[in-house]
This record gives sequence, C-alpha cells and structure tokens, in this order.
Amino acid sequence: MKGKAMSGNVKAIPFLLPFFIIYVMFTVYPIFKGLQMSFYDWSIIQKMEFVGLENYIKMFQDPDFWSSLWNTTLFTILSTPTMIILALVLALMANTKTKLRGFYRGAYFLPSILSVSVISYIAIFFLQPYTGFLNSFLHMFGIQKEFFWLAEPTLAWVSIVGVTLWWTVGFNMILFLAALQDIPDFLYESADIDGATAWQKFRYITFPQLIPIGRVILLLQILASYKVFAQILLITGGGPGTTTRPLIQYIYQAGFEKFNLGYAATMSYALFFILLILSLIQLKSQSDDQGVI
Amino acid sequence: MKKKSCSMVLLLLLLVFISGCSNLAMSSTDSDKIKLDYWTLFGGGDAEFMKEIVQKFNNTHPDIHVNYIQLPFDDYYTKLVTGIAAGKAPDVAVSHISRLPQLIELGVVSSLNPDAQKQGLQWDKFNQNILDASVINGKHYAIPIDTHPIAFYYNKEYLRKAGLLNDQGKPIIEETPEGFVNFLNKLKKELPQDIAPFSFATTGIDPYRLWWSFYHQLGADGVLSDDLSSVDLEMDKAVKAANYMKDLYYKHKVIPLHITDFYRTFQSGKAATLITGVWSTGIWEGTDDLEFGVVPVPAIFGEKAVFGNSHTLFLPKNENVDKEKRKAAFTFASFVAENGQIWAEAGHIPAKQTVYEKEAFQELPYRSQYVQIADHVAFQKPSVANGTIETILTRNLDTVLNGSKSAEKAFKTAEQEIKELLQNSLLTPDE
Repeated sequence: MKGKAMSGNVKAIPFLLPFFIIYVMFTVYPIFKGLQMSFYDWSIIQKMEFVGLENYIKMFQDPDFWSSLWNTTLFTILSTPTMIILALVLALMANTKTKLRGFYRGAYFLPSILSVSVISYIAIFFLQPYTGFLNSFLHMFGIQKEFFWLAEPTLAWVSIVGVTLWWTVGFNMILFLAALQDIPDFLYESADIDGATAWQKFRYITFPQLIPIGRVILLLQILASYKVFAQILLITGGGPGTTTRPLIQYIYQAGFEKFNLGYAATMSYALFFILLILSLIQLKSQSDDQGVI
Repeated sequence: MKKKSCSMVLLLLLLVFISGCSNLAMSSTDSDKIKLDYWTLFGGGDAEFMKEIVQKFNNTHPDIHVNYIQLPFDDYYTKLVTGIAAGKAPDVAVSHISRLPQLIELGVVSSLNPDAQKQGLQWDKFNQNILDASVINGKHYAIPIDTHPIAFYYNKEYLRKAGLLNDQGKPIIEETPEGFVNFLNKLKKELPQDIAPFSFATTGIDPYRLWWSFYHQLGADGVLSDDLSSVDLEMDKAVKAANYMKDLYYKHKVIPLHITDFYRTFQSGKAATLITGVWSTGIWEGTDDLEFGVVPVPAIFGEKAVFGNSHTLFLPKNENVDKEKRKAAFTFASFVAENGQIWAEAGHIPAKQTVYEKEAFQELPYRSQYVQIADHVAFQKPSVANGTIETILTRNLDTVLNGSKSAEKAFKTAEQEIKELLQNSLLTPDE
C-alpha cells in the first residue's frame, strides 16, 4: 500500500515539476529576494549598500507613503461595502423567477470578462467632458453644467469606485447567486406555511444562510481592493495631482521611475503585512463563529 | 514497472526541453554582416521616418545590418535600464538629452570622445546650444540628432476671419502678457462659440512645458543651482508664470477646461490655436482641410526662451566590446545625425547645422519657420534627477491649474519635494 502511494508520488513529479520550477523562480524566490532588498540601498544597476532598517525608517517618515496608503484605504472603505451590497441586490434580482433572469445574469457578469485596459478606455470615453456619453446624457436632460469626472478630486474617486463596481461586481454576484441556490426550498415552504412575509423570509432565512459566503466575499474584496492599481493608473494616472494615487502606484514609481528598488521592496513588505493582518483578523473571527452557523 | 520508466522518460524529456531552450536563444544565422541592435522610443510618424533612415543606412552599408527595435514610450527608460542591467544592452540606443545624466550616473553610457577622434566626427557642425546640453563633465556621451521644442500652431482660416492674420500668413500678436491675452480674447469674440480660441490640456506634461517656457522667458535659469546640488526655484517667476496660465482658463476663459484630447480639438477644426511640440507638424500636414501655420511660442515675457528636449543616440557600455561592432555603431549614430532632413519630415529640428543647407531640407514647408528656435531652447541642467524633477513640477502645476491649490503653495511643495529628491543617496553622485 505504502509502496503504491510512493510510486504514485514519483509519477506525479514530472507533471508537477514544470509548474513548480516556474512557481519557485517567479514567486517564491522573489518573495525572499524582496525581503533582502528592503535592507539595501538597491538601485536597478547593481549598486548595493547594506543600510539595515534605514528604508523602513524612511518609510514611516515619508508623507507620500502615508498619503498613498490612505488613498488605497479610502478606496477599500468606499468600494467594499458598496460592492457587497450591490452584489447581493443583483444576485437577488438575478435569482427571481422571471423571463429576464438569463439576461440579468449575463448583463451583470459581462463586464468582468473584459480586461482592465478595455474597461479603462471605455470609462474614459464614457466620462470625458464635452464629448463623453455621461455628460451628453446629462445635457439632454437639461443639466448644462460640465462635470469633470476625472479631473476633480471628489468626482475622480466617485468615477474610479463606480467603474470598479461596474467592472467587478459580477463576480461577487455569481458567488452570492450560487449560495442563494444552495438554500433548501423546504425552509421557504415551511415559512410560507407559517405565514411569513417576504421581508421576514429574507431576514430570517436568506440573510443568515448567506453569511458564510458573505464573509468569503468580504475577505476577497478587501484583499482585492488593497491591491488596486491598474484601473487607477489607466483612468486618472493617480491624478489630479496625487489625490487618487494608490500605494502600488507609488511603489511602482519608487522602483521603476526613481530606480530605488530597495525602498520599493520595503513598501511592498508594508503592504504585505497590512494584508496579512487583515486576513488573520478575518480568519480568526470566522473560526470563532464556526459553531454558531 | 512500465509506468515508472514511462515517468522517467517524461522527466528526461522535460530536462532536454529545458536545456534546449537556452540553446535556441544562442544560435544565430550565419552571416558576415555586423549586426547592431538599435533601441528606440518612437511611435507614430516619428517611427516611420526613423525606420526610413535605418533602411537607407542598411542599403548603403552592405557590411552592417541595423536591427530597429521599437519599445513603448511610456516605460522606455525602465526597459532600457533593466535591459542593460540584465546584460541585454543594445548596441545603439536613443535617450532624451535630459535623461543622459541619469544614465551616465547609472554607469550604462560610454564616452564618445575616442570614437569621434578616430572616426573624424566634427562636433562644431552641430548646433552649439543643443551640443552643450549633451556634454557632461567635459565629455561627449551622445550624438544629438535633433531638438524638439514646443511651438505655436494656428488655424489660418480662423485667424483670417478674426482679422488676426497678416500678409505673410503670420498671426498678429503683440508679444506682451496682455497682448497675448488680447489676441485670444479677440478670437473668442470673433469666432463662433463652439470654436475654442486656444486648445490646450489642463493637466499633465503639456502645461508643464508651457510653464517652463514662461518661467525662462521671465529670466529664470532652471530649478537647480549650477553645481546641481541644491534646489534653486525662483519663486516669484514660477508663481507668476503659473498664475498667468491659470487666468487663461478661469479668468479669460480662452481655454476650455479639461479637454481630453486637445490635439483632436485642433485637428478637427474646433480650435483656432494650440501649443505643443514640433513633432506634431507631421500630424497637421497629414490632416485634410487643415490650413495651419506655425511660429515660435510668443516671447511674451521678454526672453526668447522655450521648452525643448533633444533626442540623442548613445552607445551603451559593454564589458566585452567588439571593436568592429563599436565602430559600426558609431558610424550608424553619425549617419542618423547627418540625415536630419529625413528626420525633419517628422517635424523635429535637426541638430546638425549642415543639414539646414541640404536641398531636401529646404524644400520642406514650415520647418524653416522655426529652425531658429534651436538657439533659444531652455534645456534642463544636466542633473541625474531630471526625469523625476519634471514629474514633480508637472504634478504640482496640475494642482494649480485644476484650481485646488494656490501657485505659492504648490511651488513650495515642489521645492520641498525636489530638495528631498536631491538628498536621496541613490540619485546624487558619490560623495
């Protein structure tokens, strides 16, 4: 028995090896290399000098680091709750037994299959002043003010969160939808017999049943939001000024525009720790509640 | 047992495949030609004309083959530096004159003095103003091929309609701050409402270039001290230039706010004037029904200074230099500078003055209108931090022009940021 398992393992090796080699080379090795770099004054052309914790000290005193970290956090605060609530509402709509069911599901999920550059350019065309769709639409209804959706700090945030919502909410909706369909029908049937209203059914059956998947979505959403970068870079470039520049863009600028890779690695580790702590808090609270659900 | 050997064969195959990969990359086709890799950052019309030069070179030099490799402009320098760091350096590469000091500091550029002497390149045939900006610590590191300043473009039809075009087809502008505003105001009054007097971006690199021009017209000299060690931003002039620009948007309302693509506004006949780089000349020429003219940016604040940069060719450092290859690379770089008349078709001003006398150059329209700008281009001082300084100034000017900060505050921030940048150990020369 044991021998058979062993030979099975040996046979698995050639299949696993190609991926394993690439994974080690491009994921595991860089993680440790990054940690090493964060302790060096490391330019892109080998010009290294061990500086100990200097990069970390610099990071704590760097206002640009804090402001871009705040921007990322602001994005998370704005996008996470809206994303979850909207996904839930859409999932409930897509779960109703109407003829439009298939259309709802397709329409909500469709943007998710587009790449980030595509949605960014659609967003720019949609939101640009004078000729953009949204402003022309508003003009049609007699609102003559010219809105600068991408150039005013507050509106730029609204635009970015809105675009991200439109782009990625479909994925969360699918997760909610799958969970909705897993709720056994007999719960609703017995509720009907008890004369429960639609709201009561939602409040006491649907909602509690969705809490586990809700947690998963919350965790995924926070992690994804903290990694926000590409759509902001493409839509506003972090502007106006630096009002929408997320942390990852700042890391990119430090590393590949100022060629200060050591400092970029340091900030990447800061982001890593933030994500690690958030994940731990979530996993902890999840395991605490395990018995209840 | 059979299965085991099967997996062994698979494993072997895999190993062969992996080792095969590296062999593939090494092999090359047999040929006696010297092969040169040439990296550029050009796009659009620029790329076409540069390809034409490369082709001409390949046709006239049977023993050399230049391989034209075009990289995306946005992360060209990132790719260039990482490429050289990874030992994949090209034989010839393009760099903006403002970026040379950083590349030299990173140790990737080799001096051209010995090559020029050996191959008899005469530096005095180049425009002195451009050449000066390419000489660092008394050494030649690159061959400048052009300068590309910004210039003032106008739609002749609209200017004529507004009575602002003289007999030579030039705009009638009194070159004072008020004169320029009056000119634009008159356009606004005389033209239909949906025609913008002046098409221009509100944020980004273009306003920065105009600001840089006004700042130098006011008599300033860069933003760094002459020894490059400290920031020397002339606050009054910086603020004055920025506020003047801000008024064009908000007070006089002659530039529509936040145009997404201000080239297109001008190109489609929705604007009377625009200021941008001379590289756009080729674009306007290729546009049907656009009757345009071009003159240097009006020197409204006195001095004739204007923003400009320059493309140069340099030879990346290579540990094991092949003498023949190096010689061929230098020959190619000189050839590109010498054939500036082809390059000028894209709109640029050739750096080599002997080009101006060529018939092919003189036959080109418009270019002769702005060749003289080459003497007045205000280049950045040769600091390693030029790229980032430009980013800092652009970002802070953005906050003035979008109305979120006062010019005084924005340039105080910029000054502080540049100061911190210069203290960054990686960007300052070794003490």
